[in-house]
Amino acid sequence: MRSPLARAEGLGSAKGGVKHWWAERVSAVALVPLTVWFLGSVIAHAGGDYDAVITWLKTPLASLAMIVLLLALFHHTALGLQVVIEDYVHSDARFAALIAVRLGCLALASAGIVATLRIVFSP
Amino acid sequence: MIVESSDQVARFTLLKRFPVPRNFKVTPESRIEKGRTWPAPPGASRIKTFEVYRYDPERDGNPRIDTFEVDLDDCGPMVLDALIWIKNKVDSTLAFRRSCREGVCGSCAMTLDGTNWLACTRFISDMSKPATIYPLANLPVIKDLVPDTTHLFAQYEMIEPWLHATTPTPEKERLQSPQERSQVDGYYECILCFCCTSGCPSHWWNGDRFLGPAVLLQSWRWLADSRDEAKEKRLDTLEDPFRLYRCHTILNCTRTCPKGLNPGKAIAEIKKMVVEREG
Amino acid sequence: MNSKPSISDVTVARRRPLSPNIQIYRPQLTSVLSIANRITGVVLSLGAVGLVIWLTAAAMGPRAYGAVHGVGSSWGGRIVLFGFTFAFFLHLCGGIRHLVWDTVHGFELRSIYISGWAVVGGSVALTVAAWTVSLLLAG
Repeated sequence: MRSPLARAEGLGSAKGGVKHWWAERVSAVALVPLTVWFLGSVIAHAGGDYDAVITWLKTPLASLAMIVLLLALFHHTALGLQVVIEDYVHSDARFAALIAVRLGCLALASAGIVATLRIVFSP
Repeated sequence: MIVESSDQVARFTLLKRFPVPRNFKVTPESRIEKGRTWPAPPGASRIKTFEVYRYDPERDGNPRIDTFEVDLDDCGPMVLDALIWIKNKVDSTLAFRRSCREGVCGSCAMTLDGTNWLACTRFISDMSKPATIYPLANLPVIKDLVPDTTHLFAQYEMIEPWLHATTPTPEKERLQSPQERSQVDGYYECILCFCCTSGCPSHWWNGDRFLGPAVLLQSWRWLADSRDEAKEKRLDTLEDPFRLYRCHTILNCTRTCPKGLNPGKAIAEIKKMVVEREG
Repeated sequence: MNSKPSISDVTVARRRPLSPNIQIYRPQLTSVLSIANRITGVVLSLGAVGLVIWLTAAAMGPRAYGAVHGVGSSWGGRIVLFGFTFAFFLHLCGGIRHLVWDTVHGFELRSIYISGWAVVGGSVALTVAAWTVSLLLAG
């Protein structure tokens, strides 16, 4: 029988966690203007056809903002989903889920950036 | 709609309970069954109905909900008075903790109408119809309304809630300016009733590792104390993805504190201090 | 040698029940907005996948873009996009509220409730405004 204190202490403090917390905040701060810009642009091109969207994304400001948006968005998503998994998944599936979220977000961010660059450098 | 202070009883609730199945995540031994009804004594005219969680470890069977009809003309004004009335007049086996009956000891913390509060400082007239009384949420039940708080006090012990100082003990007391002393106002008043921790969803799911609002408020009480010189050790103990950062600022803690304290704010202060140490 | 266990043996051996938590705890603005922020966050993760699909389709050419755009402009697509818009504004407003809390401001219960209802009202108003402008521009 372990003492209640020993059980409460468990494996001890990880002496970390502030970096995750801070990164979630920094990405959130970045996402406020970026997402509002994106939504505003989509609304402005709401009825826009293919050419209008491509012309918009080819401008240096739009393509740069889109890439920064993708980086911040998927960073924030990975950090947020990590917390959700840690909160609710207490089985062995936990680590698999954490890895899947991390890699999935990395893959999606990469795919989004590649797509943006292809549009920028398309003739 | 707008709650000004935690003693305000909610008149407006969108939902009485979260839309989850009654037995959501409930282990077989925790499953609640129907209990019996204890009618009011004959001749009682003002009757209030209380649904009370019962569990008897010395009997086979699961927890159950008993219904008690209390004669208000024969009973004091607070929920604790109703419990004492039931124990004296109806069922002497009803178990609950109580001591000061004036909100300073923290013994009679319970989940009243779905929100944690002290039975001694809640008016019966503020309770819904029927009134529901459960033991403090999310704790192992010893008997009836008596929860086992061993783990919560072990978590409290972990943060070493006493003064640590390397400065040699002065001849008289360790001096504080009035301004320094005021930094622990709003924190030292905590009576460790654990209403906040028991009402924190994050502690429900990860209470084995997350310290919970009561213990974190107590941590801040020492971090904010100008005489304490163990900041490094205290912050090292706390800085952990679960111990501190499982707090997602839900703020059920601040909503429920029967002393009107602000555990949510104390935790934000700790997080800010950790960031200050970092950069 | 009595084989019948004593009362103390029974109490030691039996697992104590856990008092109910989410099954009985009353929803409050505090917890409801917290879980709403979490649910909208998860929903927006799916929206982020949609964003990548949209970008990839645009990079692939007019035909792929037309297909994705067609799904988005259909009635079903519009309802989903409306849902994403509301989720976005709720998460945005809730997130800003959290950022303010992180600076240790706005923790009085009165402020918590005022900012909470402001998040609810603000996200509804912003969603309606965004769609009104969008539909007007689309003509």
